[in-house]
Amino acid sequence: MEQDIFRNIWWVLALPVFGFLIQAFTGKIIIDSLGPKIGRRIMGALAVAPIAVGFALAAQITAELAKLPEESRLRILTLFEWITVGNLSIPFEVRVDALSMTMVLIITGIGSLIHLYATGYMAEEKDYARFFTYLNLFVGAMLILVLGNNLALLFVGWEGVGVCSYLLIGFWYKEKYNSFAANKAFIVNRIGDWGLTLGIFTLAYMASKTLGVAGNIEPRWLSYDVLLPNAQAIFAAFDPWMIITACLLLFIGAMGKSAQFPLYLWLPDAMAGPTPVSALIHAATMVTSGVFLLNRMSPFFAQAPTAGAVVAIIGAITALLGALIAFGQTDIKKVLAFSTVSQLGYMFIACGVGAYWVGLFHVATHAFFKALLFLGSGAVIHAMAHNQDMRNYGKLLKYIPITASTMLVGWLAIAGFPFMSGAFSKEEILITSFGSNLGWYGAPIGMIVGGVALVVAFLTAAYMSRMTFMTFFSGDERWKLIPAHAHGHDDHHHDDHGHDDHHEHHEDSHGFFYTDAEMAAIALRTPHEHHHDLDESHTPHEVPPSMWFPLVALAGLSIIGGGWLFFGVNLAEWLGSAGVVVHHHDHIESIPAFLQKTVSSWIFLAATACFIGGVVWGWLRYGKSLPANDGRDLSKWGWFQRSGSQQFGIDGALTDGFVGGGNVIGKASWAFDKSLVDGLVNGVAKLTGLIGRMLGSGQSGFVRGYAALMQVGVAALILYFIYQMVTLGGGN
Amino acid sequence: MGVITTTILIPIIGMLLILFVPERFGKVTKWLTVLFTGAAFLSSLSILNQFSKETFRFQMLEVANWIPNWGIQYKVGIDGISIWLVLLTTLLTLLAAIFSFYIEHRTKVYFAMILLLEAAMLGVFVSLDLILFYTFFEATLIPMAIMIYVWGGKNRNYAAIKFFIYTFSASIFMLLGMITLAKMHEKIAGHMSFDITAIQALVASGEFWQNTGTMQTLLFWAFTIALLVKCPMFPFHTWLPDAHTEAPTAGSVILAGVLLKMGTYGLLRFVLPIFPEATMANVPIIMWLAIIGIIYGAAVAAVQPDVKKLVAYSSVAHMGFVVFGIFSLNQAGMMGGVYQQLNHGISTGALFLLIGLIYERTHTRLFADYGGLKSQMPIFSALFLIVMLSSVGLPGMNGFIGEFLALYGGFMSAADGLYGMKIIMPLLAGTGVILAAAYLLHMFRQMFYGPLNPKLARLKDLKPWEVGLVGVFVVFIFWGGIYPNTFLKPMEKSVNATRMMVTNGPGARPVWSDDSHDIDNSGNLIEVNARNADGEPDTSQGIKIVKSADYYTDTNVPPRNAQEAR
Repeated sequence: MEQDIFRNIWWVLALPVFGFLIQAFTGKIIIDSLGPKIGRRIMGALAVAPIAVGFALAAQITAELAKLPEESRLRILTLFEWITVGNLSIPFEVRVDALSMTMVLIITGIGSLIHLYATGYMAEEKDYARFFTYLNLFVGAMLILVLGNNLALLFVGWEGVGVCSYLLIGFWYKEKYNSFAANKAFIVNRIGDWGLTLGIFTLAYMASKTLGVAGNIEPRWLSYDVLLPNAQAIFAAFDPWMIITACLLLFIGAMGKSAQFPLYLWLPDAMAGPTPVSALIHAATMVTSGVFLLNRMSPFFAQAPTAGAVVAIIGAITALLGALIAFGQTDIKKVLAFSTVSQLGYMFIACGVGAYWVGLFHVATHAFFKALLFLGSGAVIHAMAHNQDMRNYGKLLKYIPITASTMLVGWLAIAGFPFMSGAFSKEEILITSFGSNLGWYGAPIGMIVGGVALVVAFLTAAYMSRMTFMTFFSGDERWKLIPAHAHGHDDHHHDDHGHDDHHEHHEDSHGFFYTDAEMAAIALRTPHEHHHDLDESHTPHEVPPSMWFPLVALAGLSIIGGGWLFFGVNLAEWLGSAGVVVHHHDHIESIPAFLQKTVSSWIFLAATACFIGGVVWGWLRYGKSLPANDGRDLSKWGWFQRSGSQQFGIDGALTDGFVGGGNVIGKASWAFDKSLVDGLVNGVAKLTGLIGRMLGSGQSGFVRGYAALMQVGVAALILYFIYQMVTLGGGN
Repeated sequence: MGVITTTILIPIIGMLLILFVPERFGKVTKWLTVLFTGAAFLSSLSILNQFSKETFRFQMLEVANWIPNWGIQYKVGIDGISIWLVLLTTLLTLLAAIFSFYIEHRTKVYFAMILLLEAAMLGVFVSLDLILFYTFFEATLIPMAIMIYVWGGKNRNYAAIKFFIYTFSASIFMLLGMITLAKMHEKIAGHMSFDITAIQALVASGEFWQNTGTMQTLLFWAFTIALLVKCPMFPFHTWLPDAHTEAPTAGSVILAGVLLKMGTYGLLRFVLPIFPEATMANVPIIMWLAIIGIIYGAAVAAVQPDVKKLVAYSSVAHMGFVVFGIFSLNQAGMMGGVYQQLNHGISTGALFLLIGLIYERTHTRLFADYGGLKSQMPIFSALFLIVMLSSVGLPGMNGFIGEFLALYGGFMSAADGLYGMKIIMPLLAGTGVILAAAYLLHMFRQMFYGPLNPKLARLKDLKPWEVGLVGVFVVFIFWGGIYPNTFLKPMEKSVNATRMMVTNGPGARPVWSDDSHDIDNSGNLIEVNARNADGEPDTSQGIKIVKSADYYTDTNVPPRNAQEAR
């Protein structure tokens, strides 16, 4: 019976895949045949159901897992042999333990709320089924990432979520900007994947050298149950730099997926996707998989404190940079995007100083409040005719009270209101950083990153208050300042259908093209997309229940989630049972006991002060009205904010540098290809042609040249071979 | 007559039949071609059915004398490396023939050429006699060149002749090498022989290359250059972009899908087993060429304004992975290289087919003439997306398995410092997966994303039979990625034997023509004194291992402190 419940994990994994197939193959047909209203309802329900049922099953499995004694909380289930090549065997196997189930609950739980929200948010979308096709596939891939019992399966999910992210960022592909953003996301992620692949190879190499020589073990070098318990033995067999290299290579993968400096570039652009995507993929789940990876591989990272120092420093840089850039953003989603970058940096600070479980704790609480904030921003955008510029908002609390009040909860949670979820995990990060004696060339890394984290705590409260006050308070309703203009909308659209009379109507014997009559019928069937612009005539409306219900649920989690995970679940102990290193660098315990309490209380007070300071700053600056030096006229902005709006030039330099540089290299290589390599061949051919003519063959041209080249070459070679054979005969 | 000869003969009979059909009955010609390529495919399935994955040796052997005085035979057989290439050939030819229903111009010769090409390609993959191989190898050139020359694009004249002369000149070197090998066989055994199993037996015992000085290196390069031109590998690749771009769609599919594999197949079949010492000595050079090909091919592909040229240059990069895997001389890496041959055939074949489908409609290959196709042709774009991602090497699809294993094997050999490999090699080769994403996504974006190009506003989506045609590729893309063991298991022993023919010392190498040893399921080379009725080794006397699989211990650089760790 107990075994049966764990077997249900296959259903958790399979349901989103079934959902994906249903959406992909029947979605468009059903919506077309039942009409947009009913059809979309049905497909929406079919999209939410697999994820919600998956969540229920996962909850049941987790409950069963929690009943087991701590040391036996692990089940590995194998489905089939995936890759077997003599010295490497990679089965398709899943691992049910505390870490993977925690992630599964976040993915399916938050995932089903966001799916529900999306059924409302995307209700007017023409490609409704295509959206849920990608979204269900994403959940499936993400589950493989966290459930797989080996690094190769992790990689499958890793790239799978990457491709879903690519497809969803480019969901509105007609906008050129979106398609560029999609490509950028995938390619930057691939840079990370390069590191991850090599990290996997390095670990496999070390494992096979250490364990394979014995010859009596299955060559599952990438499986966690082979790697993790032997971390000590593998470490002992190699130079420390080997393990540092392996960890840093894995971390490059994490940097790509979890948007760490300098590979964070793709995440802000990824906001081009629909808002539910930003909430699910680019805030709650996918971008945290780097933290998951570090937690999973923590027995290895724990052996390499130097790698940990690098992780912590990169995390601190990212946290600070993301927070600073957020001040310069006017697009509500961009503020949240940079906030996500910054918070991800926070998680890596925790992992870097050795408190892996704290990193995952912040993953969970961040999933609650950031998903809430993104969905809330989506509701705001929905209410504001898809205008995302906060300078056009103001006083929205009056119009959309449910959205606004839930978003206020999210704001307090991320800013660090005491005893809300964000405050718990943030203070845990601060405590472990300051308490860590992690050093690097004598520098007290723990103190440094802890100090940065404290500064970022203040900045977070400040820029989130800026966003909140600009949107929901700050005196005036600024969209009313936009004059209504008569837009010649329909005129534009007629042209798009491309009735160019110049089209050559050459005979179409294969039936490749629509006839004039069919074109007319299509034009009749396709309704013109109304969209109306934000202007003075606009009145914001509250969103439908399918959209505000998830907001309320997430708001609840944002309030109590942190305390519940900390005290109710005892996350440290729970994750510890999955092999996550919990106490390795927890050096606060090494300081005298009477100081421990004092340190903790001081950090609590400091963090609370940061929260209050940030909010007060925000209120003073944005509470009453929009200050002129943060208004529509960028030239009035201060230096700091203006550079922040340009990401301090980092994105421009790196992206344009690489694209431009790559283009130059490509063009140069092509020129080289055409002139040198090919030119050499053609040139030799011409030369021999010339010789041929001089010898009086009387024929000219380049083809003849080739033939002549061939003849001369062949003759020379035959002579040489005959010579060789003769000397060979002589030699023996 | 055995099943292999039957498979080769079916298309030849079809070709002869077609020559008697008058030109005006184009439909009959087309259906006859589909019938015969279909029959050849069924026949190759029966080869697969009879195939046993328990041995590394050649199966279904057929031998007949051809020119006995010079030791030239008609000798054909199949092993784990060639079996999938034979099936790939028959499958791709069938699909290319079905696509070619769009051909209206001089149908008779066109379809005769397709059938002739199929027979020649099949011959290449089953020949066990050097001269027979060479004959088939060159025989593929003529129909291919004619296809480019008559049905190609604007610049077809130049492309066809360049293709023909370039590859023909290069293989002259190989022919000379073959004659030298036969002569050397005569010196040792008393009679000339072009039979590779006979030559390899002498190589395995070490007799063949005794006191021959630099001869092995010389002949190694004579073979290798000819085959690298075919792959094609930098810097011998410049015939490929022209040939690919100008060829008609079916020609491009076959060229990318099968013809390029003749190069890598030749490396596996002749170069590795016959020139083991030279192979090991020259691994770094070949590896560098492969790496340059991977990066350089990608860089040039990224700036092409022509979709077909982009895919052509991507072949240079992808075949670099194949060569990289094969020359890693690591079991996983070689499996990856061999598997990647098939994957490249499927993915790139499918890409050319898809480009052909759109080219039939728009008659342009320039990106500038496309844009926004996704809304106009959703099914076409979905299929294109899948095939493109398989070419990118997305896990869950076939391309990933091959690339992953090839890089894995290269990494393992390089980390051990074997064969002069450096750790920088797999690091650089790995950047190929970043670059592949860059140029293929760039391609997809230019064709399918952005606002719809008004010139395309009248395009209908694919027809059902066209979807079915591409669907076959899609099935193999997912099958190869989700359950690769279907394809990996049958090739495992042959690949392992090929590896051991190189890396093991004289006397401990597997021999094709000698029954006294075998490879067991753990990959060890074992001595076999007696066999039971099924031909399986009799293990009742215990097993004597001649050479263990050496997956982990065959290393010049033992891991530091490994002894203490145990």
